[in-house]
Amino acid sequence: MSSMNATAFYFESSMAQESTEIARGLRRRDADLLDRLIEQYQHRLLRYLVYLTGRRELAEDLFQETWIRVLERGHQFNDKYAFSTWLFSVAHNLAIDHLRRKQPASLDGLLNDNDEDAPFDVPATGRASAFDLTVQREQSEHIAAGMQHLPAEYREALVLRFQEGMSLEEIASVARVPLGTVKSRIYRGLSALEPWLKGAQL
Amino acid sequence: MNTDAHERARKLIALAGPETLSAADRPSDQRSSNAWLAAHLETCASCRAFAENAAQTIHGLRAIPIAAERSLVSTTQIRVRRRALELRRNRERLRLVSVSCTAVTLCALLSTVVLWRGFEWLGERAQLASSVWQVGFLVFCVMPALVAAILLLAKDRHLADHTGSYRG
Repeated sequence: MSSMNATAFYFESSMAQESTEIARGLRRRDADLLDRLIEQYQHRLLRYLVYLTGRRELAEDLFQETWIRVLERGHQFNDKYAFSTWLFSVAHNLAIDHLRRKQPASLDGLLNDNDEDAPFDVPATGRASAFDLTVQREQSEHIAAGMQHLPAEYREALVLRFQEGMSLEEIASVARVPLGTVKSRIYRGLSALEPWLKGAQL
Repeated sequence: MNTDAHERARKLIALAGPETLSAADRPSDQRSSNAWLAAHLETCASCRAFAENAAQTIHGLRAIPIAAERSLVSTTQIRVRRRALELRRNRERLRLVSVSCTAVTLCALLSTVVLWRGFEWLGERAQLASSVWQVGFLVFCVMPALVAAILLLAKDRHLADHTGSYRG
């Protein structure tokens, strides 16, 4: 038990140290540090933006803008929090700003205009066609299709919770909504995906 | 069993995450809500099915591969580096302007004091009333700005006369 506590303490302190180093580098506008961070968070940030916006092209534009914003506003990063939480909140705000420029609405406007676009397309893995892989791929396809029909705020909550593994409090801080709203979005989002999963099982 | 119990169970399942959903990992004695959930799942087939579906959905969500392309990453890195350079240049320019402004302000303060003394001395030598040399000092200080303003206005007027942009 004590060794578990020691391990947890070690991870916490190393994370805090990492956050402090990132904060210092961001204040200096250290381009090398930003290069490393872009590499490190590339897939996670893009995935979040693709889910949030529902459009790959827009997500890629916002991806670039997010890192420019991180460079410009790096001094605002508080090292008491995880860098990823701050990064996703920067991306979230940019997506909202983008939407407001287009139409004064909420995240609802990020729903897909065109269902034929499939930003969450599940590409073939290229591995051997084992039965479980096929089933898994089929399930993912159905869930990806279901995600496209969910409101953007539900998609955001689901991706932050289940792909990023964020705590409910962190999600609330990224999405700037009360904790209760986060809980409700996750529950409703997951419930809304259920029929799609059942579709996969038929 | 009422619908509130099912809803409570489903909310607990949804918020618990995938780690606590499988039967093997399900905690039954850690916290009261988890214990309650475990007991509920033992008796409720529909909530058990919901838990299984939730676990599969989460697993399916995690299996959707969305990856950034190499070109996107390198383009972003280049853009960020370029912007960092731009910001650094702007900051250096701003620093230069700040230093220049400070130097000019200091020089202006010093020269004002020296000029004031000079005008005072000249006024005494010429036996002028203090208001006279003070007006002279004011005119002397304002003159460069006044001349510059007149010249600029004249230049604008000249351009307007030749291009006709100010004519109605």
